[in-house]
Amino acid sequence: MKQEARGKRQESADQRISESADQRVSGSTDQCSVLSPPSSVLSPQHSALSTSFNINLRGGWALIKKTWLMWVQHRSFFFLLAFGWMIPPLIYLFVWATAAGGASIGGLTRGGFVAYYLVLILVNQLTYSQTNWTVGDTIRYGGMNSLLLRPLSPVFDALSSEVAGKVVYMLFVIPVTAVLALILRPELHLTLTNTLAFIPALALAWALRFFWGYWLALLAFWATRADALLALQDALIFLLAGQVAPTALLPGVLRQASHFLPFRYMVGFPVEVLTGQLDAAGLLAGFAAQVAWLAVAVALFAVMWHAGVKRYSAVGG
Amino acid sequence: MRYLKLIKHFIVIAFQDVLAYRMNFWISLLYSLLNLGTGVLGLVILFSHVETVQGWTLASTLALLGVYLTLGALRGLFIGPSLEALAGMDGEVWTGRFDFTLLRPVDVQFLASFRYWRPLALLDLALGLGVLGAAVVQLGQTLTLANLLAFLVALAAGLLTLYAILLAFSALVFWSPGFLFTWLFDALFQMARYPIGLYPGWLRLVLTWIVPVGVMTTVPAQALSGLAAPPILLGSLAVALAFFTVATLLFRTGLRRYASASS
Repeated sequence: MKQEARGKRQESADQRISESADQRVSGSTDQCSVLSPPSSVLSPQHSALSTSFNINLRGGWALIKKTWLMWVQHRSFFFLLAFGWMIPPLIYLFVWATAAGGASIGGLTRGGFVAYYLVLILVNQLTYSQTNWTVGDTIRYGGMNSLLLRPLSPVFDALSSEVAGKVVYMLFVIPVTAVLALILRPELHLTLTNTLAFIPALALAWALRFFWGYWLALLAFWATRADALLALQDALIFLLAGQVAPTALLPGVLRQASHFLPFRYMVGFPVEVLTGQLDAAGLLAGFAAQVAWLAVAVALFAVMWHAGVKRYSAVGG
Repeated sequence: MRYLKLIKHFIVIAFQDVLAYRMNFWISLLYSLLNLGTGVLGLVILFSHVETVQGWTLASTLALLGVYLTLGALRGLFIGPSLEALAGMDGEVWTGRFDFTLLRPVDVQFLASFRYWRPLALLDLALGLGVLGAAVVQLGQTLTLANLLAFLVALAAGLLTLYAILLAFSALVFWSPGFLFTWLFDALFQMARYPIGLYPGWLRLVLTWIVPVGVMTTVPAQALSGLAAPPILLGSLAVALAFFTVATLLFRTGLRRYASASS
């Protein structure tokens, strides 16, 4: 089996690197026959952003489709997860809507809060990256061995779960949000500019949250309990990304922190864009911050990945 | 007596287990502080914009948060871990390991409810009681003995209700082994963070009669500031006992359906 797999690898340009990968994880080479598509090999030392990325799109797509089909089978479990994630924003929807009563707080009326939080539920679900939690476990329990041996960058594994997850969660969240919108009567005035600006804001928010969480999760290469940092991140997102209150309502220091730190740009910013809370200057500043933080996150991810994989020694097999 | 002795042994085992992993202590402390910090800051932010919401002030809502954290800690101490082992992810009913639990010569419900303890939840308990203390100071009224007694009665009723509901949700696993009913409850329990008066009417009905979150946190918090009249206290005790009886019946009925799991 090992011979056969290596034979296929020799056709590729990455032979030297993949052989060193073999040595590194030799404890579990038997697994490499599981997945050996005929096309090229993307070795672990290539970052996800290298040029080999394109050649692997076909294999990546197959992985995405497989994961998606698997997830749809277990949908009741994922519906339950989605339900759990919906509850905190829903609580704050009720709290703020009740607090506003007939008046308005910080320019938001009862209906304004309802609209803000219903959009936030959708955005939060779309940008939430649960892969960040599983990547750490994959490294700790040695599951990374088989991922590294695949002729695909492991980032595809995370991406396939992402795509599968989003589809399954949306099957639950969209109908529920629609029903809530019928009951709670949100006030949402959509303009063309806001709607058009919302799409890139959402995409950037997703990418930022994904790569930010991914580099944090990669700390598992060095420390076994790095997921404590992910919990810290979730707490900061809760406070500063517009969940506990729209960032405009945060008191002084917290508001400044929320505008400077990356967390608002993962959730709150797209919501503020769609609900029309921002003027042109705020919109531009927000996009600039999103792009800047995304660049930081991707750079950190690339650095951590290179350094981490070199350090990685297999556990289990 | 024999049961108390067993509980003592369960606790000792849990402590020995925890002492082996010191790093976990610090991580748990971090989690507890994060939970506390986000909860308190959430209230501070809300009440920096409004004086009262439906008659609830910062101090009385803080008392409610204290009750929520205390109840959550007591749950995490033994009810949660024990029932999670039964009905949680890869729980015993799902894997068939429940066979071994059934073979023990003690009452199954007792064993299923008390066997696993998580001593690190004592950190949460300390923080929860701390918040309660701070809230009493904030309320600015002296705590009378009557209020304290009313509070303790309400808290006991709340804990019994919490246990009963968790037991009922866990028992449902006998009918549908793969579904994580306790997670469903976790999601709903978060609503207990805020007074039920803050939710719209239809949701308040659900939170009073189906998943009586109100009995768990709202009534004890009211009792602390002397706002819970005797009828409300008696009512919450009655609710607690009724839920406990129904949950016990459900658990025993479910138990009869258990047919192990083949490998």
